Amino acid sequence: MPQQPFEQEIARLIVDTLQLEAASDTIEPDAPLFNEGLGLDSIDALELVLAISRGYGIEMKADDERNGQIFASLRNLARFVESNRK
Amino acid sequence: MNNPGAIPLVARAPDDILFRRRGAALTVRHFLRDVRVLSESLPDGAYLINLCQDRYHFTVALAAATLRGQISLLSADRSPGPLARLSERFGGAASVCEEPSCAGTSRHACFALPPEAPAGAVPPIFVPADQQVAIVFTSGSTGEPVGNAKHWGVLAARSFDFGERFGMVPDSPGSIVGTVPPQHMYGFETTVLLPLLATASTWCGPAFYPADIAEALRAVPAPRTLVTTPLQLRALVESGIALPPLSAIISATAPMDASLAAAAEARFGVHVLEIFGATETGSVASRRTVSGDVWTTYDTVRLEQPADGAGTLVVAPPAGPILLTDRLDLLDATHFRLLGRADDLVKLGGRRASLAGLNRILGRIPGVKDGVFVVPDDLDRRPAARLLAFVVAPDRSAEDILADLRRQIEPVFLPRRVVKLDSLPRNELGKLTRAATARLMAGTEGD
Repeated sequence: MPQQPFEQEIARLIVDTLQLEAASDTIEPDAPLFNEGLGLDSIDALELVLAISRGYGIEMKADDERNGQIFASLRNLARFVESNRK
Repeated sequence: MNNPGAIPLVARAPDDILFRRRGAALTVRHFLRDVRVLSESLPDGAYLINLCQDRYHFTVALAAATLRGQISLLSADRSPGPLARLSERFGGAASVCEEPSCAGTSRHACFALPPEAPAGAVPPIFVPADQQVAIVFTSGSTGEPVGNAKHWGVLAARSFDFGERFGMVPDSPGSIVGTVPPQHMYGFETTVLLPLLATASTWCGPAFYPADIAEALRAVPAPRTLVTTPLQLRALVESGIALPPLSAIISATAPMDASLAAAAEARFGVHVLEIFGATETGSVASRRTVSGDVWTTYDTVRLEQPADGAGTLVVAPPAGPILLTDRLDLLDATHFRLLGRADDLVKLGGRRASLAGLNRILGRIPGVKDGVFVVPDDLDRRPAARLLAFVVAPDRSAEDILADLRRQIEPVFLPRRVVKLDSLPRNELGKLTRAATARLMAGTEGD
């Protein structure tokens, strides 16, 4: 399934922030971002959380039970950022 | 029980607060009661893998195991494969955790502590100074984790040193918010042992992202010490988040850039102090980053050049001399400059791995005829940087190789990219020179 416009924006944020080799338009919207799939880890999560706070004013927390869901895929992360941005 | 060789499990008054979490202050009475309760229900065995994430639960489980004479195995690697191998190496050791959803070893026990406050007096617990209480793991040169035995007397001596150096002494109890897991030697010393053996109370909850750290610091009373890493300190500075007044920021796990330390000092109005140590020795020296590159050992610690000149001997009684692989320039027995790590070691996210060990694992992956991990030049300056792997494996895809590696090595050391080649540019001795790997790296740019 192709990326939606806001998913494209978040995909670019991920690739730029983490300096990934992959092109941003090759990130599958429904594929896992962590462990399997894109293979990100907790250090990447810290970088992403910082980039999201600077770009969209959202302060994410480690004890938020939704984190597993939010970070599950590009689609979920984009949806979360779009609906919580300030 | 009160013989000269025994050290209290907790060197604090009964109503002193050891740990805090939202809406709760956990005193020595809570702790000793919970240790005795849990010690009756832990799984049997000479060893116990402590997977607890909450620092109070971690500490209670460690102490309860100690009371039963069990040795706690502390490994920051929670991936299923390594955990199963660790259990197997230690006689089928069980794992414990407080989190019902935690996936541990095949013998896993999830525990809960009594919710009610302790009633009445709780007898103190003493631990023989020579009792081994834990094994803390670091990655070894073969790829299998290497254990470092920790005895209670040595841990108590280093905690006392630490308390003296950082002013955590009985008449000024302070609060610690730590961002490093208790299974890591640095997190173990600062957030678990200091409350028991020096004077501090530790925040139990998560403190990983800037917003968590700020919230945790606001939830604890002054004086507040933040125990963290360069990675998280940089995130705090860049996030622009406000923190309540701090009395110190302590950092370890990776060398801190002086400009980051200066920015953090200016922004938070507090000294940024670094500690130097290793899993083998615990923390043994400190410096204020902006004051220069000379480190000062703790009062009871001396450094020596071994007779053959390789490495540095750390003499920190009551531990025997320990050889460190870090390259130090000794100015005298208590001052040094840090020159760097041994070439084979790579450090990411506070974890160490041996490149030889990683290469051995890569070479054993089915279908891999040759392979090598390469460290980018800017690894120390770019927090999100990761390793690369070059492989010769005509019949396997890069994704398959990565999937195999994922089962065997810690996530942070997984190559960000697996590059397939027809052959590796080894020299006539079969070695890959630094120049050859630099050319390989250059060849991947801009693809």
